[in-house]
Amino acid sequence: MAKYVAKRLLLTLVMIIIISFAIFVALNNTGVDPISFKLGLDNYTPEAAAELREKLGLNAPLVVRYLRWWKDMLSGNFGYSIAHGYSIRSGLIAKWPATLEISLTAMIVSTVIGIGIGMLSAIWQNSIVDYLGRMIAAIGNSVPEYFFALILIQLFSVRLQLLPTSGRVPAGAVTFWDRLPNLILPVAALAIPMCGNLMRYTRNTMLDVANQEYVKLARSKGIPEWKVYIKHVFRNSMRPVVTVLLFRMTLLLGGSVAVETIFSWPGVGQVLTQAITASDYSVVMLYTLMMAVLMLTISFLVDLFAALLDPRVRLDK
Amino acid sequence: MDKVNAPVGGHQAIANARRLGTSLRKKRIRKFVGNKLAVFGLAVIVVFLFMALFAPFLTPYDPLEPNFGQTLKGPSAEHWFGTDSMGRDLYTRVLYGARVSILIAVSSSLIANAIGVVMGAFGGYFGGWLDKGLVRLSELFACFPQLIIVLVVMAFIGPGTFNLILVFAITGWTGTFRLVRAEYMSKKEETYVKACEAFGMSRLKIMFFQILPSVMTTVIIQVTMNIPGYVMSEAGLSFLGFGVPMSTPTWGTMLNAAKSMKVLLYAPGVWLVPGCAISLFVLAVNFFGDGLRDVMDPRQQ
Amino acid sequence: MSDEIILDVKNLSTVITTDRVPVRIVKDVSFQLRRGRTLAIVGESGCGKSVTMQSVVKLVSRNYHITADHVLYRSFRSGAPKEYRLDKLAPYGRVMRSLRGPEISMVFQDPMMSLNPVYKIGDQVIEGLLQHNPGMKKREAWARALEMLKKLGIPAAEQRINEYPHQMSGGMKQRIVIAIAMICDPQIIIADEPTTALDVTIQSQIMELMKQLQTEDRKSIILITHNMGLVAEMADDVAVMYMGRVVEAGPIQAIFENPLHPYTQGLLKSVPVLGMARDKPLIAIPGSTPNPADLTEGCEFAGRCPYCEAACLRGVIPSFEAEPGHQVRCLRSAHGEVN
Repeated sequence: MAKYVAKRLLLTLVMIIIISFAIFVALNNTGVDPISFKLGLDNYTPEAAAELREKLGLNAPLVVRYLRWWKDMLSGNFGYSIAHGYSIRSGLIAKWPATLEISLTAMIVSTVIGIGIGMLSAIWQNSIVDYLGRMIAAIGNSVPEYFFALILIQLFSVRLQLLPTSGRVPAGAVTFWDRLPNLILPVAALAIPMCGNLMRYTRNTMLDVANQEYVKLARSKGIPEWKVYIKHVFRNSMRPVVTVLLFRMTLLLGGSVAVETIFSWPGVGQVLTQAITASDYSVVMLYTLMMAVLMLTISFLVDLFAALLDPRVRLDK
Repeated sequence: MDKVNAPVGGHQAIANARRLGTSLRKKRIRKFVGNKLAVFGLAVIVVFLFMALFAPFLTPYDPLEPNFGQTLKGPSAEHWFGTDSMGRDLYTRVLYGARVSILIAVSSSLIANAIGVVMGAFGGYFGGWLDKGLVRLSELFACFPQLIIVLVVMAFIGPGTFNLILVFAITGWTGTFRLVRAEYMSKKEETYVKACEAFGMSRLKIMFFQILPSVMTTVIIQVTMNIPGYVMSEAGLSFLGFGVPMSTPTWGTMLNAAKSMKVLLYAPGVWLVPGCAISLFVLAVNFFGDGLRDVMDPRQQ
Repeated sequence: MSDEIILDVKNLSTVITTDRVPVRIVKDVSFQLRRGRTLAIVGESGCGKSVTMQSVVKLVSRNYHITADHVLYRSFRSGAPKEYRLDKLAPYGRVMRSLRGPEISMVFQDPMMSLNPVYKIGDQVIEGLLQHNPGMKKREAWARALEMLKKLGIPAAEQRINEYPHQMSGGMKQRIVIAIAMICDPQIIIADEPTTALDVTIQSQIMELMKQLQTEDRKSIILITHNMGLVAEMADDVAVMYMGRVVEAGPIQAIFENPLHPYTQGLLKSVPVLGMARDKPLIAIPGSTPNPADLTEGCEFAGRCPYCEAACLRGVIPSFEAEPGHQVRCLRSAHGEVN
């Protein structure tokens, strides 16, 4: 297990280094010369530029500059937006909590509902629950989250006037309960299409496991059906289901870009779309880097968790 | 069919095998037709393709010509689905939009799968460092939200139909890669491949003439199953304004109208129509693909 | 002897529906199992022998439809025999479940697939024990499991009991599966090709073990197999199945020395049996097993039978008693033109 963890950790670090290096190279070739940017048109002379270049250490080899870039980032300096001049720390990093708020909530909601209904669907195969579940899954797989978001707004905000259409914190909000109405629609728009996906996967995996010989053996011991399902079928289905969590997180974060735009949710997705519109490469690339680090970390944790669930990996020395 | 087989000779065996072959195909067709959802999916796909192909004959309007006297009208006899904020007929735009949306999705899926097959074949058959490298690369792609990679790349190369297909193709090959690679890894251990190797057949020939046909089932299903994702991604990107140029009518650029508060809140028809077109088409392809998979390769989930 | 019959199956049929096409896999199968004896059910793969046994204990999927005149299990456990009509019980109901394990247990074909990969061996062995002995302490069950593993000749049982299935060899796993089947001290053990997945040396060890347990505790065994050698070694009675039907049944001497059905004859000629005449050639049965869905009428074996005649292609071939206890479903036995 320790060896497995060490190997996965090393691999994750190597991946982060490769991605960040690629991003660093891309950042250095965006076509925007930071020197002329810094000096401004009036002060620009070749000599002044060369002097500043030396002073800022821009003549150092690429690898040195790359390491220096990491050092800066680790000490909290992420650079500035090329287009708007805001510090990336306040303009981008500070927006992560908002994004994680809706995506993690959506993740939890969709996981609970998806696995729950998926299980029932598998246990009561071909029952009403199964048909309804499969129908919801089919629709969930076919309605993109942005379209679903529009429908939700039309239904709950315009027609029923129940929930607000946009924003994260309403004016005068103090407690979590004041903010809750704003959270419901974006989370629903993200979570419900996602449920279908997981429901279907859980159902199919469980049906697959239910056909295994060891489940038949468990039944031949005379234990009741619910025990067969909990102890044998569900327990063995968890590993594949956990493994797709990563994939689902990528889908959620991808979907959150559009959903944040629709609900004016002040998260990183919105920053990203604005940055792309303004060709604000430094912001775009830093966003990409953070996304890479986030996803690789989740991937590492998922692998770890999956390994814990499986003695074949856990006991491997 | 004859019940009593007199002495079973070679001819008889061949005839039996043939009969088995045709009966398998018949059985598959019967199984597919028995799957109502799959048949429904196929029917919807056919209708959409027909509408896309014959769009000019099915509507008197132009998808691009604005008509400012007729903006944001509800459904009527002249405009079946109503008009958008520039007075263009929504029905017409859905028809023409289907052309581009389906074209982008189908060609992206084909190219992405072609890349996946080639990479999977090389990785799975040759193994070694090449395989390791390809697997790492695919993991890298797979752990990024695809929509975000596409967004970032589009930010650099700019919007456009061709660019979009290109980006979809280079980011979408990982799923097929993994499946094809796994198939090649198991197939290369099989006797018929060993026999070809023993006869000194070149490795490329074995890969693409001997093994590939047996992997095609997987690939065909993959191509079908990838299409819905591309339809939705295209629409999502165009909705955000980074997909195809706004002047091209696609289901996504039509949805983009909903970014205007006025349309979003008070003219739901304008975005409901393309949204429903997307969902219906995606649903149909999903059903069709599921049916196809059940028939062709029941063990694959 | 007849009161010693522990399992009596009369006209059991199973229909499996796949893609809305019903196919009769088991047709009017009848057999009797005597106490302390071994009944071998023999036939090629796909002849319905596994389905027959799974239908008896009702461990089947939802698309199986089982009918029978009766499936009678007679429990000799406590004093006077107690009878259960298995065909009338709900497959996963309380009564049926109470029989699975302490009365009838199963050993499945593939030891590699039969153990749950995520639980320790010990936990899997005691699961049934705890189920059928409410109030039993886990420690006590664990001790019983350890005892059973030792009895089955598992080396370093104290350590093995704490291991996971992936840490064991195939032969070990099969011993564990047998331990699971034996732990509740059942009256009948149904062993479905218990050794096909194993090496030959381990095969004989495992069979030796089962034989030993049987003679010690007067267990009844149903052995499902296609291996005639194994049958010769283990069985007291034999039922030969072909395409879902018992074509010949009787005591082992009768079947081996005087096989009457052309299929049984072919089967015996095609398999090397220890001790058979050295100069006898092995002869394959011509043709291959037909698709069960294609069979409609007449003798199932007609297509491959060297003695096939017009009468064989009509109706259902009845069963004849060739000698006491020796049944055969072949018209040739009715004519008396036996060998």
